[in-house]
Amino acid sequence: MDTLNNFINGTIALFGDPLGILIFLGGVIGGMLFGAIPGVSMLTLAAILLPFTAHLSPEHGIMLFSVIYCTGVYGGAITAILFNIPGAPENAPTAFDGYPMTQKGQAGKAVGAAVTCSAIGGTVSAVIMMIATAPIAGWAISAFGPPEIFALVFFGLAVASSVGAKTFWKGWLSILLGLLIAVVGLDPVGGIERWDFGMPYLLAGIHFIPTILGFFAVSEVFVQVEKKARGAYSAPKVGVDFPSLAELFAQKIAVIRSIFIGFFCGILPGIGATLAAFMGYNEAVRWSKDSKEFGTGKMEGVVSSETANNAATGAAMIPLLALGLPGGALTAMMVAVFQMHDMEPGPLVFLNSADLVWVVFSAMFFANLSILLIGFLETKTIINLLRIPFQFLAPVILLLATVGAYAVRGLPIDIVVMFIAGIVGFFLRRSGYSVAGIVLGLILGKIGEQTFAQAMQMLHFEWSGFLSRPIAITLIIAGVLTLLNSIYSAFFKKSA
Amino acid sequence: MKNLRVAHIVEATIWLSLALLLFVSSFDFNQEIEIYKYGASAWPRALLLLIAVAAVGQLLGQWLRGESQGSKMLGKASDDGAELAAELSDHNNPKWLAWTFMIMTIPFFYMNVPGIVGDLLSLEKAGLNQVKLLTAAALLGIFLLAIRGNHIGGMLTLPLLFGAFLQDFGFYFTAPFFILGTMYLMGERRWKNMTMIAALVMGIMLALFVSLLYVGLPTGIISPFYEFGTTIVNLLQ
Repeated sequence: MDTLNNFINGTIALFGDPLGILIFLGGVIGGMLFGAIPGVSMLTLAAILLPFTAHLSPEHGIMLFSVIYCTGVYGGAITAILFNIPGAPENAPTAFDGYPMTQKGQAGKAVGAAVTCSAIGGTVSAVIMMIATAPIAGWAISAFGPPEIFALVFFGLAVASSVGAKTFWKGWLSILLGLLIAVVGLDPVGGIERWDFGMPYLLAGIHFIPTILGFFAVSEVFVQVEKKARGAYSAPKVGVDFPSLAELFAQKIAVIRSIFIGFFCGILPGIGATLAAFMGYNEAVRWSKDSKEFGTGKMEGVVSSETANNAATGAAMIPLLALGLPGGALTAMMVAVFQMHDMEPGPLVFLNSADLVWVVFSAMFFANLSILLIGFLETKTIINLLRIPFQFLAPVILLLATVGAYAVRGLPIDIVVMFIAGIVGFFLRRSGYSVAGIVLGLILGKIGEQTFAQAMQMLHFEWSGFLSRPIAITLIIAGVLTLLNSIYSAFFKKSA
Repeated sequence: MKNLRVAHIVEATIWLSLALLLFVSSFDFNQEIEIYKYGASAWPRALLLLIAVAAVGQLLGQWLRGESQGSKMLGKASDDGAELAAELSDHNNPKWLAWTFMIMTIPFFYMNVPGIVGDLLSLEKAGLNQVKLLTAAALLGIFLLAIRGNHIGGMLTLPLLFGAFLQDFGFYFTAPFFILGTMYLMGERRWKNMTMIAALVMGIMLALFVSLLYVGLPTGIISPFYEFGTTIVNLLQ
């Protein structure tokens, strides 16, 4: 009952505030557009908007990001289905069957299935998130001290390094690079200057906003330049058909299975919507009696991928809000939004800012529902927007990023740092490294070191003290096993 | 050794050199903290050790198994096409990389040379500004010559050059050229369209950020660019 009351209050707070409605709608449409347009992603939009959230209230800032997350994950399905160009990596498996459906003249049905299943996956996930997050946060307040938080960060990074990049080593190195960047500046215990090389700018540490903008928005433009993406496609005429109830009902097993897979992937750090979509699709193929039909335009493929990626969105909010642990790039940016408002995400948010949490939850619920409505209305607009050639879009993205990086502190050097991060990100990406891993390391680095120092002080520098804390030791063992398993796979397992 | 390529050895060398250099410089802050016996350097050094282990592990993996390590699904899920684009464009060869890195040093000359010249000649502000103008003009010329045949290198450097010029020449003067330059480097040649897009983008950006949100963008410090920037700000606000 409490959950329902809180949800109603959150909904009233969300829609009773004109600015809130405006931000909500902006997030829904912006996420969808950036998700859909190849060459930019919801992460590009989030990175560009990040500096400006300092001018918004924390509720509006986090709400905007959560809405972008929901609709951005869906947006790329349209281009994946119609042009075989996934707008974002999380829609890549959607193209496997979505595009063949277009070729068979069933584009409307494929987009309809993607819209419907994205909405179902996301909404169910949002409901579970609403029910589960508060109890987990309540438990975490009493059960989680610095040793547990450190162990959780370690476990999160171990999983993220194992699954976040092309190979385990590249994932590991990406995260370590992020952790290393977080070291620059003053150390969290004694305030000793580290790696500032006599530059006053580095004393305060490398600011995360120019870094995030560089890694996501700028490097993306550079990658597209190399791909020589033009972004102009001949748009086929397409309507959007709802799949009939009978067709939808026939997919019930695929939908339920993908919700479970997506939710599981979302809740684990480092996995997120992209891998959720791939696993959802893979399992659909594995479970199917006629698995050979996949890839030739089978609706189940679109359904499995799109349900799973949206189901991951609500789940990803649980570790973020209940434990303060971001699992992916977008949730890491949400931590940055919290930090810009001098807040830390984690169980205490429920005590100190319950309003914020419920406005965000309500916004995510309605954002997923609005995929149904706006997905149908906006599809044609998106197709028209794809006609904008990328060479016209690129300077806009770069200029917006420039203004964003400068607006934070009014330092031109932040712009240079952003472009350097963009160049570094470009070269790392073309070598198979993961910029999301770097940002995760950057955001979690400070929390990790701080909680490690606090934990060691608390345990009187006795490492065996971890043994007397069941949650911490379980997480550490799980993290070590994950790493060992990845090392074993890297050397001995056959590629599968 | 059949799977090992020069690129793999270069990659491992870069990581190991980075770890070694940072380890050496960690002695600068290797201080004890009274309440924390591990001091300020234990955490960063542990990270450096892990980087070294991962770099060696990666090299070993590449030697034993080539690029096909681990799950294909993970590879697919984390593939953003950047690697393939690099391969297809043949931009992994040492000549292209060396050329590109040389172009990318141009903005750093602008960030450092005028200051050094100013110090050597004990120049006042007006004199220093003249040096900056001359250096900017010379480097711009070198940049335009250097990027002939390497537009990707130009595209990577142009934003840095824009960032380096921003403080002295201001956003309002440099941004339109930056927009035109980006479009040109991306292959656009229809000057009428380019000018219209640049004017439109500048108009929207100025209306949104300067008139509406009052974001104070850099006006520049060198005359007459400073006057140009402040006139625009005064007109808009």
